[in-house]
Amino acid sequence: MSETIIHLILAAGVVGLIAGFVLGVIPIIGRYKLPIQIISILLFAFGVYLEGGLANEKEWQLRVKEIEAKAAKAEAEAAKKNVELQAALADKGKVIREKGDTIIKYVDRWRDRDIIKEIPGPERVRVEEVIRYIENCPIPPELVNIHNDAAKMNKGKEIKK
Amino acid sequence: MKYLILATCVLLMTGCSIFKQPVPIKPEFPVAIPDLMKKCEQLKTIEGDKILITDMLKTIVENYTLYYECSAKVDGWQEWYIEQKKIYDSVK
Repeated sequence: MSETIIHLILAAGVVGLIAGFVLGVIPIIGRYKLPIQIISILLFAFGVYLEGGLANEKEWQLRVKEIEAKAAKAEAEAAKKNVELQAALADKGKVIREKGDTIIKYVDRWRDRDIIKEIPGPERVRVEEVIRYIENCPIPPELVNIHNDAAKMNKGKEIKK
Repeated sequence: MKYLILATCVLLMTGCSIFKQPVPIKPEFPVAIPDLMKKCEQLKTIEGDKILITDMLKTIVENYTLYYECSAKVDGWQEWYIEQKKIYDSVK
């Protein structure tokens, strides 16, 4: 129902009320006083109801627009935050991998005996001794199995004792 | 009679505010960061016949790296949830 019709219904109700209750002394109106009063009261009540609904609808539409704007802003913010978090996570991962690689390279220097070249004097003798131990003392398979079982503990396999 | 009519009008006027509809709009649920969706890798095991301490050490370091990468993902999920919830809750 258009706004104009709603306003017209209310206006008709108000006019009818005035006619029925105030201008009832005029003979032509006075003859139909009661039907005018009843119809105008009904029109007025219906008009008030529709006006209320209209005002409510306008308020609701305004709220919808407000929420739509907020939702759009939130979606943009969420996307921006995702980009920031993605970058932070990538950086963190890169740092972890780089640190891990550095340690592994250091271990490789012991395995490849390169570490000896970097150590001067009597300390070199001790390092050479350590490397000899490394090369001649392999880890017993039992201990390797313990490590491997620990690494696979999330697989639900029974741990060997 | 008049009072009854007046009361009806008042009831009609207040009736409008009673039946307020909720706004059927909410922001779209944010898409998770692709890196967070990747599963954590399985820890590495040591394979071979003659295992030197350096080989074992390398595997252990690689596993620490995997752990910290996975830990970063968990931290990432927590941060993602906190931040996205804050943004989502701001729409009211």
